[in-house]
Formats: sequence, C-alpha cells, structure tokens
Amino acid sequence: MSTPGPERVPSTVKVGKTTGQGKPPTGKPGANRPNATKPGGKGRKPIAPVKVAGGRNWGPIAVAGLVVVIAGGIIGYGVYASVQGSRDWTDKVAEIQGVVNYRAQKNALIDDRTHKAGPLTYVTSPPVGGAHNQTWQNCQGDVYTAPIANEHAVHSLEHGAVWITYKQGLAADQVATLQKKVEGKDYMLMSPYAGLDKNVSVQVWGYQLKTDDVNDSRIDTFISAARVKASMEPGAACSSGNTTSDPVSAAVSDGASSDTGS
Amino acid sequence: MSSDTTSLDAAPASGEVPARHRFGYAALALLLAGIVLGAGIGLVVPRFRTPADDSVEAGFLRDMSTHHAQAVEMAMEAHADSITPAIVTLSADIATTQQAQIGYMQAWLRDWDLSPTGGEQPMAWMPDAAGSVVDGLMPGMATPEQLASLRKATGKDLDVQFLTLMRAHHLGGIHMAQEAENLSDNKDVDWLADSMVTAQQGEIQLIDDLLKQAQSG
Repeated sequence: MSTPGPERVPSTVKVGKTTGQGKPPTGKPGANRPNATKPGGKGRKPIAPVKVAGGRNWGPIAVAGLVVVIAGGIIGYGVYASVQGSRDWTDKVAEIQGVVNYRAQKNALIDDRTHKAGPLTYVTSPPVGGAHNQTWQNCQGDVYTAPIANEHAVHSLEHGAVWITYKQGLAADQVATLQKKVEGKDYMLMSPYAGLDKNVSVQVWGYQLKTDDVNDSRIDTFISAARVKASMEPGAACSSGNTTSDPVSAAVSDGASSDTGS
Repeated sequence: MSSDTTSLDAAPASGEVPARHRFGYAALALLLAGIVLGAGIGLVVPRFRTPADDSVEAGFLRDMSTHHAQAVEMAMEAHADSITPAIVTLSADIATTQQAQIGYMQAWLRDWDLSPTGGEQPMAWMPDAAGSVVDGLMPGMATPEQLASLRKATGKDLDVQFLTLMRAHHLGGIHMAQEAENLSDNKDVDWLADSMVTAQQGEIQLIDDLLKQAQSG
C-alpha cells in the first residue's frame, strides 16, 4: 500500500478513478478529494456559531410540513392498498381456522418433490406432499368416483390443484354438494378416500383442512385462497394426467399413460 | 495528515449567509416533499387503473384460462393418438398456442395483484350468460362423458370426435372472446381476445375441411 522511496509529490494525485492504472496509490484513502485549503491552513476554519437573527421563518416550514404530511398520507394509503391487494395467499390460508400448515413443519418427507416409481407411503392421510409418481392425476375439474392413487394425486397438488377427498360411503347428496365445487373448474379434483377420519378432507400442497360438514364455508374460503396459488411449479398443467382410478403398479417404471383408456 | 492534498481552488467558505441558507433548506424540503408526493401518486394511481377483482377483464382471463385448459387437454389426446398427420399438426398448434395464452392471462392477473381464480360463477362477467353454464361447464366445453369417449377412441373415430369437440369448443371460445373485446377497453385484453377470435375462426375452416376428409375417407 504505502509507497517506499522518496516522498511522492502530491501534484501527481489524480482526482477520481479514471486513470491511474499501474500507478500505485499515492495517498491514504480519501486523501485525494479536492480540498479547499491553502497550504499552511488547517482544514477548516472553526465555524463561528451561527446566530439566527430574529425568529425562525415559520411560513415555509409550515407549508413544507403540511406537504410532507399530505404526501405521507397518500403514501401510507398507497402502501396499505397494495399490501391489502397483494396479501400473500398463505396469509389468507393462515386465517382459516383448522387448516393445518404442513409447510411450516419442514418435514423432509412432505417437502420431497422427487419422482419415484411404484407404490409410496405418506406421512399424512390423505397426503399433502412428498415424493410422487411422474404422472399426475388429471385435475381439470375431474370427479373420480373411486379412490385414486395417492402417488398421482400428490403430483397434482404440486401443480397447484385442490384435491377434495371424502369418506367412502358419504351420502350421495353430500357428494353432489362437493361435486358442485369441482366440476368445470381446472386445478380441482375430487375422489373418495378409504379410511378418512372426517367426512371431508381438502388439501393443497402443504396444507390440509378436515371437516365433517360438506357445507362448511371454510372449504370455499380455502379453495379460493389456495387454488393454483399453492402450485410449486407455476404454469404446470392439470391436463394430460392420469384419468384412471387404478393404483400405481409396482413395476420399475409406472409410466401410466393418461390416454390408454384401459 | 493531509499533506498530500491537491491545491485546487478554494470553495466559498460555509456558514456565512444564513438567510440564503434558510431559503435553501425550504427549497430542499419542498423538493423532497415533491418527490415523496410524486412517488405516492405513482404508487396509488396504477391501482386505480388496473382492472378490479370483479371486472370483465379479470372474469374473462380466469374463465378463458379454464376454457383453454380443456382445449389443451383434448388437443394433447389427439396429438398423442391420431394417425392423421394434419390432425397431429393442428392439435400441436392448438395445445401449444392455448397453453401459452394461459400464461399471458395468468401473468396479467398476477401483475394486477388479482387471484388467478375467482369466487364468482363461471361467465359471471358476461351479461345474459347465466344460462350458458351447464354443470359448471362454459359454452363449448366438452362433458366428462365426451372426454372419456375421446380418450378411448382410435383411428378415424378419434379424428371425428376430436374435430367435432374442438369445433364446438372454438365456437364457444370465440363467442366469449368477442364479448370480452366488446366489454373491455383494456388494450392487452382486447389484443389477446382479438387474436383468439381470428385464430380460432381460421382453425374452424381447417377443422371443417378435415372433418369432411375424415368422414368421407
């Protein structure tokens, strides 16, 4: 850093960083700002205490203050409006009583997003995430009348779908109520679920709501907050998925094509 | 310590003209206030200029995303299973175009800080369309039974089913896009809706030709 040899002549100091390539820095950092001192003088004259003559000029201060207050109000409103409008969907879900947030648990088995062939086991019932089959379950408002493979359904959750499951044997009129929430809507699918502990369980990736009442208003609130928003892969589709209710085969590669119709 | 300072010329010493300074402070405060005010306006105004949650634009983008998704689904079926080269090409065209358009529509909703999905019934944005939704399906959409049949079909049967379903689907979609164009004055939405109308009307002509070939061949 410091230069050996004879004292450097200060007149060679360049202001700014334009040139100086190859020349070692000649001064301490900050020493090359233009300084207004004449040789001999100390850096600054001691500033004489400024006596403000007379009273303060309150007029401009009041005007400026008022303007700042108004501006602050406008900004405040703007921030409030954008925060309200763009409130994250997870905040809306967090307000729904009874929704379990599995994302917060940081459970590696639930967070696992890898593709695995063959039957898989899941931490929760019904599953809300975890490794899954490479084929997703078609979720274009599909209403399945028999239980479907978890391995495919979890992949649909990853794509942003809401999966409504209901206890097998639920009364037909209650199933019809649920069906109304699903049919014609993409990123929705429903199916009966064996051994469900409540009448209805609604899940997106990492969140689950269970209830015994198909008319529970929390179901609709949950759907409208999380559908599509819950996607781990924005833009991933619900079409071209598996449309059967068959379990995944134990074969090396499931590869169940969606459109074999078998 | 500052032995190596340059000998540039002296600036006027500070703190000598209090009156001018007070004026300077007031001007600076006003300038800052102006910047703050401008930023505030800039922050608020766009929120009044982008479509609202219950707007025609938001309703159209959401519904058309769902409508398109089914077209993609049917086109992917035909693309995978048809053995007619012209239909393989047509279905690829439909699937890729409409999936990309879904991306536009979803991105705009996101830009506007609106949910990608809505709480209203399908077609609520379109006047006098209440009766057009059957079992949650918008005009032109295939029923689950028709889709199941399409998935099973092969050969000429597949071609005819696909072309027939897609023809109806396009007619429903064109009608929605035309209505959106009439009702909306958002230039992005109008532009996309207009491109849908033009492209799908063109495709209907092609579909009609291919249907004739499939039925005669």
